[in-house]
Amino acid sequence: MLATALLLGLTGLAGAFVLYLTARRFHVEEDPRIDNIESLLPGANCGACGCRGCRDFAATCVQRNSLENLNCPGAREGTMKEIASIMGVETQPEAKRLVAVLRCAGSCKVRPIRYTYDGASNCAVMNAVGVGSRECSWGCLACGDCTSACRFGALKIDPGTGLPLVDTSMCTGCGLCVDECPRSLLELRPAGRRERRVWVACSSHDRGAVARRQCKAACIGCGKCAKECPFDAITLAGNLAYINPDKCKTCGKCVATCPTGAIHATFEIKQPS
Amino acid sequence: MSTSQVLHLSPSPHIHTRRTTSGAMRHVLAALLPAVGCALYYFGLPALLTLVISSAAAMLTEWAITLFLLKRPSTLGDCSALLTGILLALNLPASLPWWITAAGAVFAIAIAKMAFGGLGCNIFNPALTGRVFLLISFPAAMTAWPLPTPGFGDADGVTGATLLSQLKESATDIIPDATSLLSGNMGGSMGETCAAAIIIGFIYLIATGTVRWHIPAAIVAGMALIDLFAGFPLWIDLLSGGLLLGAVFMATDYVTSPMTRSGMLLYGLLIGIITASIRRWGIYPEGMSFAILIMNGATPLINRYMRPTRFSPRRKEATA
Amino acid sequence: MKKTFSKGGIHPVAEKTASAAIRLLPLPQKAMLPLRQHIGAPARATVKRGDHVVRGQMVAEGVSAISASVHTPVSGAVTSIENIMTPWGTPIEAIIVTSSEKEHEADSEIRRLEWEQTLGAKTDLSTAKNIASEEILFHAAKAGIVGLGGATFPAHAKLCVRPENKINTLIINGCECEPYLMCDDALMRNCAPRIIEGTALMIKATSASRAIIAIEDNKTDAIAAISAAIAEAGNASISLEVLQTKYPQGGEKQLIEACTGRRVGSGALPASIGVIVHNVATTFALRQAVTAGQPLIERVVTISGDIPVGERHNYLAAIGTPLSNVPFTIPADKDIHIIAGGPMMGRSAVNLDAPLTKGCCGLTILSGTRRRPTQPCVRCGECVEACPMGLEPYLLSAYGSRQLWREAAAASVTDCLECGACSYSCPSSRPLLDFIRIAKQRARTIKQD
Repeated sequence: MLATALLLGLTGLAGAFVLYLTARRFHVEEDPRIDNIESLLPGANCGACGCRGCRDFAATCVQRNSLENLNCPGAREGTMKEIASIMGVETQPEAKRLVAVLRCAGSCKVRPIRYTYDGASNCAVMNAVGVGSRECSWGCLACGDCTSACRFGALKIDPGTGLPLVDTSMCTGCGLCVDECPRSLLELRPAGRRERRVWVACSSHDRGAVARRQCKAACIGCGKCAKECPFDAITLAGNLAYINPDKCKTCGKCVATCPTGAIHATFEIKQPS
Repeated sequence: MSTSQVLHLSPSPHIHTRRTTSGAMRHVLAALLPAVGCALYYFGLPALLTLVISSAAAMLTEWAITLFLLKRPSTLGDCSALLTGILLALNLPASLPWWITAAGAVFAIAIAKMAFGGLGCNIFNPALTGRVFLLISFPAAMTAWPLPTPGFGDADGVTGATLLSQLKESATDIIPDATSLLSGNMGGSMGETCAAAIIIGFIYLIATGTVRWHIPAAIVAGMALIDLFAGFPLWIDLLSGGLLLGAVFMATDYVTSPMTRSGMLLYGLLIGIITASIRRWGIYPEGMSFAILIMNGATPLINRYMRPTRFSPRRKEATA
Repeated sequence: MKKTFSKGGIHPVAEKTASAAIRLLPLPQKAMLPLRQHIGAPARATVKRGDHVVRGQMVAEGVSAISASVHTPVSGAVTSIENIMTPWGTPIEAIIVTSSEKEHEADSEIRRLEWEQTLGAKTDLSTAKNIASEEILFHAAKAGIVGLGGATFPAHAKLCVRPENKINTLIINGCECEPYLMCDDALMRNCAPRIIEGTALMIKATSASRAIIAIEDNKTDAIAAISAAIAEAGNASISLEVLQTKYPQGGEKQLIEACTGRRVGSGALPASIGVIVHNVATTFALRQAVTAGQPLIERVVTISGDIPVGERHNYLAAIGTPLSNVPFTIPADKDIHIIAGGPMMGRSAVNLDAPLTKGCCGLTILSGTRRRPTQPCVRCGECVEACPMGLEPYLLSAYGSRQLWREAAAASVTDCLECGACSYSCPSSRPLLDFIRIAKQRARTIKQD
């Protein structure tokens, strides 16, 4: 009994010693600030900062010893200030917050399911087949490639419309969903002052009549919005209007003019009386 | 096109084989019928009881896990739980108390299969894992082999050693009788005794294209290699113990065996070598279950290194 | 034992039940001619709205080495150049030509006479003897000929052999391993002499020392017609090779191995081992261009599937004909599946107003759903066994669905020829090729980086 206990104890001790030696032999001296910074980061490794993950971002901060051109879009507000104080460097002006918007409004109501799709439930696969289960070869395929790409839980398929819905409170503007969509329907746009955003919720370059037949909420390229805009923010290219977010002052006039309701805004529009 | 019709669209190919996974399971079940018949013929009512309890426990466990734990639709339709239950029963002595049988089936499904993620995700053959679990937990009950009482009669409660354990304990002075080995009139687990029934099942599996010949053939080859070396008659090894049952029904399990033909050959060869080595030089009289489980563990490795040869020759690197 | 390729392959139902005669599908009143009916750069329109064009006139020309011209099969006025929908519902730019009643009648009459001439004549290799190889390439480019087996690679680019590759074998692909499709079979049965003439032209163009016409053994009539035509021509360098019936025998690399026993390297072209493969329909089109001066404005298509037997036909149809002009009754079944091409490699069609293009071998109409619900992969190895390229489809598909493009590239996903043998043979009905196709596209872009 005693011998067994002794033997086991000694084996354990010997193992611990080997571990200790190995740990000493392979110990790497690391700046403790890297760990401190990393603990502040969201840990999603989304890559939106341009580094290969959160740890790499922290290491880059420490290595450059400056926060110039370094920003974590996924972090809470004020995180960059905290990082700056850890490093003892100047704070950079906060970058404009970006959020993703879906440039399609082809819900199951305005664009009903016409064909039965018998393939893998994946947007990229369905896009390779052709138009998809609904009309409009530009519109959302609604298989949720973007929702599974989002690491912040900001994208969900809305059961009401069948389209992905961006939860702007969670969206960090990392752009993972933008790269994922095979039809490039998601766009990063400035969150805007007081969360006011206006965008064209359609990507169809089809001729007006065709687009209208396929989807009741399509931009038909009529150009009314471009004429209405007081700031020259709207351009028309290939039967599709685009609102330049840098010029747009979110007055909302275009939203009221659009005959198909293809222009979406995050705020109530006062109808012209 | 009328309005009630729907137009389908799908990625190519648009036609598919008629064969299904559950169909393959049903083929295996059909191939087991002769062995099941023999078990009933030799071991009577206890055999029936073991079969029923084992398959019922297996199916019930899977049903309960999919319903209550995973909250998914039931997967009983693919017949794999029933197959596991029947295979487990055929690997047990007919006289086993019912609760041990049930415990084995529950273990096989819950731990060896569903804990890994269900059909297709398990590393080890569930039925064999269940059997080995019982063998280690209840060694006495699991090695009390009832002697066969041909004619669907009730077993008389007399137990005896299997041929292999007799060979292990005493010297080789026992001369086994080839006819009783083939027909199964000897002690052993329910399904393994009758070699002829298993061979009929094997022919059926090959004829329906359900399994390939590679694994069973390689097992025999591996066995022959060791027997040649150890100077043991191969035919006794082949016809006794769980070798045939294991080679035809357990080692060929899709999920736990390699995917390429060359991988299958290596896998089978090593099973044969390990089994024969255990039988000749190990403590256990029987080594099939352990050999298969060991090689189950090596299957991912085999899949990784024994890849199919590519059709197109690789382009030579510019540096070469 | 007849030859075949060595790895993988499957035996799907053949269903080659269409009638062997080639019927003339009436010319359309309005032809829609997409500018991109081939692999490579889209052609550039050489006509504008309001122009008058005549049958066989070029309306768009190839812009680079890998591009093909487009010709109009009907005389008439160019009514517009606009985006139309492909059969699978995506937009494509096309030239629309509308002919008047009179022009339509005249064109149809000319076409009938031309077809009679094509069918009737005896094998005549004199053109091939007297023409220069450059001239053949010029004709192929001018006529807008592309690979008509479905790949639509511009034929002149393929025939134009680089000086470092010496071509010794020309293989004429008459395998037509796709189920249902019979257009090549019908062409071989009806126009075997023209195919031999085209083969002779191709031998001349590539300076190959021999040509093998490869046909699967289930096409007995085509084999008889081709061997009779070879005997009549008396050209010793053209031979017939009857192969076992196995899908995908018509895959370029598979066919080369079946005929010559040699394998083309990964990512390499057949020319690297001195072989060129052309489809019988392409060969026929080359003959029509060089000898009859007819550009690629028509092709043979098969209409088959779950439609009445009396409607399963092979048609000579003008490129640009709306698919809805093809007569067939839609089955009464609830689930309909219309496929542009064959059921193994064709694409689902949803829009029958779309035009017939050069690469479309026919329409296959299936009824009833064909995909069963997916079951878990049981690692049975059927896909590995079926893959003609020696790949591991189960693994590539898993990489594809998990977006591991680099791993997929390392597992040779770019070798995949998308034949569909893996998805076909999967007993768990897993969408293997769906994800492999995506992985292949992404792996290609990685390689280019």
